[in-house]
Amino acid sequence: MSYTRRNFLKATLGASTLLSFTPAAPNFLVRSLMAAAPRRDDRDTILVVVQLSGGNDGLNTVVPYGDDEYARNRTTLRLPTKDLHKIDSMVGFHPRMGAFMRLYEQGHLSIIQGVGYPNSDRSHERAMRIWHTADPDQPGRQTGWLGRAVDSIWDPDSTNAPAVFVGPIAQPFGLNAERVVVPSVRSYGDLVIQEMPGRLKRQSQWKRAAELPRAEQDNPLTHFLQQCTLNSYTNSRRIEAVTKTAADTFEYPSFQLAGSLRTVAQLIRADIGIRIFFTELGGGGIGGFDNHANQLGNHCALLHHLSESVAAFIHHLKRDKLLHRVLLMTFSEFGRTVKENGRRGTGHGAAAPIFLAGGKLKGGLLGAHPSLTDMDNGALKFAIDFRRVYATMLDRWLGFKSRTVLDRQFELLDI
Amino acid sequence: MVAQNEKTASRNQSKRVHPAHRMGGVHPAVAEKLTDPGWAWAAYQPDAQRPWNLAQAGHLFRRAAFGAGWDQLQQALSDGPQRAVDKLLRPQADLAVFNRTYDGYEASAAGSIDGLRAWWLRRIIQTPHPLLEKMTLFWHSHFATNSLKVKNPGLMLRHVQLLRSQALNSFRDMLQAISRDPAVLICLGADANRKALPNESFVRPLMEVFTLSHGHYTQKDVREAARAFTGWFALRGRLRYIPREHDGNIKEILGESGSFAGDDVVRIVLEQPATARTVVCKLYRWLICETEEPDAMLVAPLVESFAKDYDILKLAETMLRSNLFFSTAAYRRRIKCPVEFALGIVKALEGVVSTTQLGQDLAGLGQNLYHPPTVKGWIGGRHWINSATLVGRHNLALALLQGSGPYADKLNPWVVAKKYGCSTLKSATRFLLDLFLQGDLDPDVYETVLKTAQAPAGIGSDDPEGMLRRFAHLVVTLPEFHLA
Repeated sequence: MSYTRRNFLKATLGASTLLSFTPAAPNFLVRSLMAAAPRRDDRDTILVVVQLSGGNDGLNTVVPYGDDEYARNRTTLRLPTKDLHKIDSMVGFHPRMGAFMRLYEQGHLSIIQGVGYPNSDRSHERAMRIWHTADPDQPGRQTGWLGRAVDSIWDPDSTNAPAVFVGPIAQPFGLNAERVVVPSVRSYGDLVIQEMPGRLKRQSQWKRAAELPRAEQDNPLTHFLQQCTLNSYTNSRRIEAVTKTAADTFEYPSFQLAGSLRTVAQLIRADIGIRIFFTELGGGGIGGFDNHANQLGNHCALLHHLSESVAAFIHHLKRDKLLHRVLLMTFSEFGRTVKENGRRGTGHGAAAPIFLAGGKLKGGLLGAHPSLTDMDNGALKFAIDFRRVYATMLDRWLGFKSRTVLDRQFELLDI
Repeated sequence: MVAQNEKTASRNQSKRVHPAHRMGGVHPAVAEKLTDPGWAWAAYQPDAQRPWNLAQAGHLFRRAAFGAGWDQLQQALSDGPQRAVDKLLRPQADLAVFNRTYDGYEASAAGSIDGLRAWWLRRIIQTPHPLLEKMTLFWHSHFATNSLKVKNPGLMLRHVQLLRSQALNSFRDMLQAISRDPAVLICLGADANRKALPNESFVRPLMEVFTLSHGHYTQKDVREAARAFTGWFALRGRLRYIPREHDGNIKEILGESGSFAGDDVVRIVLEQPATARTVVCKLYRWLICETEEPDAMLVAPLVESFAKDYDILKLAETMLRSNLFFSTAAYRRRIKCPVEFALGIVKALEGVVSTTQLGQDLAGLGQNLYHPPTVKGWIGGRHWINSATLVGRHNLALALLQGSGPYADKLNPWVVAKKYGCSTLKSATRFLLDLFLQGDLDPDVYETVLKTAQAPAGIGSDDPEGMLRRFAHLVVTLPEFHLA
């Protein structure tokens, strides 16, 4: 797990302790602490969240072929055992998820099985809202868990955007913050400064005008805007630089999600201080993974998109030696019913698996596959509360304080 | 005026800077008086130390409006500060006709929230009473109601009309109406208030955000107030009172007891001095300064007066006329919200751009009208700004100014400069610096910016229009232009 310099300083000194002995503290220490706060640390970790909209059928994703109940319940949707990518004698990946199998074998993929929450909600809107707010008890909660996370790390001198949504749909509620403005982008170009056609080299002039010291006014806002203007210029140049180099030629499949993840990879390579990326597969609303009828073909395609896109992303980052800084996590608002519904589809369910992909994972399966007989109203029972996954991302991976985001301390997972 | 401007430009050329336009540092004698409420809230009368100049006029229009065109600035200069404030508070134009016309446009667009958003922005651009819209926007953030939850554009339309009708009138009446506004109740999840299940979803933000603020009420007050509101429902978008669902028993709220109903709760919170303080401090942040919280002593006279009559116009008037407002403690001590940033460009260049597109672009910068992010509204300030939103502002300004694309050719700096008497590129660049920033830049910055237009590559170009578009873009992306 990452252990940034910032965390080191916080852990060893503690902000309040240091303040209290500042006059006596060695100057270099004070200086380095001051520098640590607003500065970007290139060892800072990055979380990429992939939303699978519509309710993914976990049972046909990580398939419990070793359990006879699977075949009994899935009369038409049953996936042939011989086509599965077998993980162990119990479960295997969907036939179109060969790329995930390879990631799994390389130790870059973990599966958390049976993730959910008590009294699961079966409505798309409400269930998605619960996953976004991370607060099943307060349906009216006004902020998303990632929104609260970025609010919690904001400081008045920060000039970077801490989180970004990448995708063509409206920004998911999970990023809704009380204070911080989280931008939505479709491609890296949305974060690049555009210029009017003309012969002047305006960017450098503009930069000069922005960075000249302002003599007589002690207005803290002017100074802040100067810092931020220069930073936006630098960040924009960094993005342009990484997208123009040969290193940007990595091959991605031509799926929507692959395009979004390619943008994420470019922005990670530009190193502009974004700690959280959010992207999506399935169209954002009802649809996508929501297969009430003739599920097989559509689900095949979606899982293929997911697995190929994520694999390309992981390999790209690995090639560029950035994978150790990145952790990708999938989620969906619910799983599906164990029994199919007579229309070659499934109904809204409960618990489902979450995938983690990255360079610093232990890999393997976390938790047991949920029982197919002891069920929650026809769907799988959860064993791991989703907020434990969130808390693990926040505390162990990002180095934030999950308690401020989730209101209490959830038991962390060993990933 | 035309000839005058050319004269101004040539005069300043020789002096390098515009001393008459700069705000300058705080005179020591003035700095001391800023903390004295008697002096701070007294009406500003220009004198040698604090002259009435273009910078002050620009400041007034940024706060009490959404920026200004050149003739408005010039008119304000000759009017003097108090008369300029008069006109912003009580414009002579026929407002009733204007608002009726726009109410009609909005009613016909009420099928879609994007349509409403576009008409509101259009109204802001064209209104003869920009302060009314400035205050409507303030209340939209104060009683933050999000269309995504209400899911009924018609209710949202009526909600903002309610805000507008009271924006400069009575906070008491506005609060009363808000407590019966179906949009607010639905948004907060308070659309059902059963006797057996008192709903705290409205009364909690009522106390925490709309009036008293944290620390001036207890959980018990919230519970009891919720009982007083039982019987009120928003059913199929309509407010309904069901008497048998009302709990008529005795409640104890903020030290008073009685068989209170919802209206009594509103009356009781309005009797608390904390309510007036919450609103005064929030308006202080909006109209005067957001870098520092006002000292309790400083705002005390305003709080006391506001608590008596809840007259919003009077409160805004005191603030806008004051010595404090026209001091360096207020000058550029706020960051423009995205609407102010974009309309500051549009108003200065006297064009009307596509507000459908603008509404969408402003949403991308964090200010989606009709969709404040939480019940606390847009917190704003430094939160508006990060490197991504700043790139967004840069690119929006470019789209507005480039003369083609989604905003078409509605804003043309060269045409505006010529209209006000500039015939050369040189005078036009100085004019634009005056128009957008009232020339108030650090001398080095001022000269550097001017030089960009005088660079050989620029002068060699036979395209003053394109040159001036690029120059205008450079000016509105300077750090100073983001400050209100």
